[in-house]
Amino acid sequence: MSGYGKPLPRITPDNQDFWEAVRRHELRLQRCQECGRFRYPPSPVCPDCLSERFAWTQVTGRGTVTTWVVVHKPYFPSFADEIPYHVVQVELEEGPRLTANLVDVPNEKIRVGLPVEVVFDDVTPEVTLPRFRRAR
Amino acid sequence: MTDAATRTIRDRTAIAGVGVSRFSLRAESSPMELAVQAFKAALADAGLDRDAVDGVAINIGWPLGVDYDRFAEVVGLRLRFADQTWTHGRFVGPSLQHAAMAVASGLATCVACVCAVSFTQQRGLLGGPGDFEGTREEGGTHEENPVYGLTAPAAGAALSFRRYMALYGATSAQLAAVPITFRRHALLNPQALMQKPLTLEAHQRSRWIVEPLHLYDCCVVSDGAACVLVTTAERARDGARPPVLLAGMQGMRAGRDEFLFGLPGLGIGKQRRFRYTPTDDELLVYRMAGVTRQDVDGLYTYDAFSPLVLFVLERFGFCGLGEAAAWVQDGRIGLGGALPMNTSGGLLSEAHVSGWNSIVEIVRQLRGECGTRQVEGARVMQWATAWGDSLVFRR
Repeated sequence: MSGYGKPLPRITPDNQDFWEAVRRHELRLQRCQECGRFRYPPSPVCPDCLSERFAWTQVTGRGTVTTWVVVHKPYFPSFADEIPYHVVQVELEEGPRLTANLVDVPNEKIRVGLPVEVVFDDVTPEVTLPRFRRAR
Repeated sequence: MTDAATRTIRDRTAIAGVGVSRFSLRAESSPMELAVQAFKAALADAGLDRDAVDGVAINIGWPLGVDYDRFAEVVGLRLRFADQTWTHGRFVGPSLQHAAMAVASGLATCVACVCAVSFTQQRGLLGGPGDFEGTREEGGTHEENPVYGLTAPAAGAALSFRRYMALYGATSAQLAAVPITFRRHALLNPQALMQKPLTLEAHQRSRWIVEPLHLYDCCVVSDGAACVLVTTAERARDGARPPVLLAGMQGMRAGRDEFLFGLPGLGIGKQRRFRYTPTDDELLVYRMAGVTRQDVDGLYTYDAFSPLVLFVLERFGFCGLGEAAAWVQDGRIGLGGALPMNTSGGLLSEAHVSGWNSIVEIVRQLRGECGTRQVEGARVMQWATAWGDSLVFRR
């Protein structure tokens, strides 16, 4: 039993391949095999062409911060010790955006347009979360 | 000008009466008790008997509010039309539209839109551990993502405003004009919960909730209820009060270009990035009502967080994209200004009755009952939200 007390991803048939890849430290998104577009969050069909054919395709993990916030109110007891903490949205080079945290950037240094790259945080023996750091 | 919708529903239905419960910052009554107070007040206002009501439209269900079935049992209704939306304030407009459509189509003759909300008794449900919406496949509708500590609707508005600031140079001090203006309105409204003036200094000094939103950019956490009685225009003309006609409406938008708390094109979550300008379809409500934006004597919106007020102004073209933060300065959205907004104080300063308190205010304004906060000569008023639904009301 780990001491990680924060909410964990809810694994579903649609997203389990995403989380299994992340556990192997690979960032993979669904890519439509008809029109070639990437999509996230996971879904059973391509929202552009409605094709069911997709492949879990590795992405570069590079992107930019498109927006961020700093949470000051302790909505969740398990995050209370980290207040004030930030949450960012990152637009990947392939297009889709992920919500995450940055691992090495203080709140006051975050800005829209900051180049970042994915890192993998093994928060429990079973679960890894993608987060981001300043691009190297 | 000859849309099917224009021909079928313009001015066919009207609001015959409105009522509210006592508003409170503490849990003093159950949501059901509040709902009953508002319902009886609306019946008295309309001069209608309980048995005249044969439909109910509920916006906020249990446990924040009351469900249609229990409400009907408690107040002895015999319903032939019942409607209940997802428990979210975004459904104020759609709920009122359902009521109007039910009446216009003959499914009911008088629908009571009832909204009771007890936020003080259910704090854990909003952004706390009891808020399970963020665990939806994939993510909550305000971009909640509990895994990363993004757990509350306020965070969604903060995500949008941060990006808006970066794109257009808007500032928190500019945003403050919204809650400051609505607080001035609340000071003219005896039933408003916030009765102390708000200054720019106090706004800027107030604690952050989710940065860049300060405490005063977030709505009152309160208990209260409101009831709006919708019937045919013909019946309403025979009522105790001047009818307020539902002149035009348009539905809530959804899709990948929509993020509830930001304009299309802003680039939050799944939204594409582009420069939004309202299309004819986005402005259907005016065409249906047979009015123009210039005819609107007051605009009312869901102001749970102050950036939403900026977004609705741009969504409906009252100002251009990225201009709203400057546009709301110098009293423009205040009483006596070019476009008075949320003249009761809104969710930011009157009470958070999910927005129904603003529908009640529209009705009272159009009936000329608002005393020192009356918009002189008000004839046309609009409800509109950042997510695109709208109704135009006229007397």
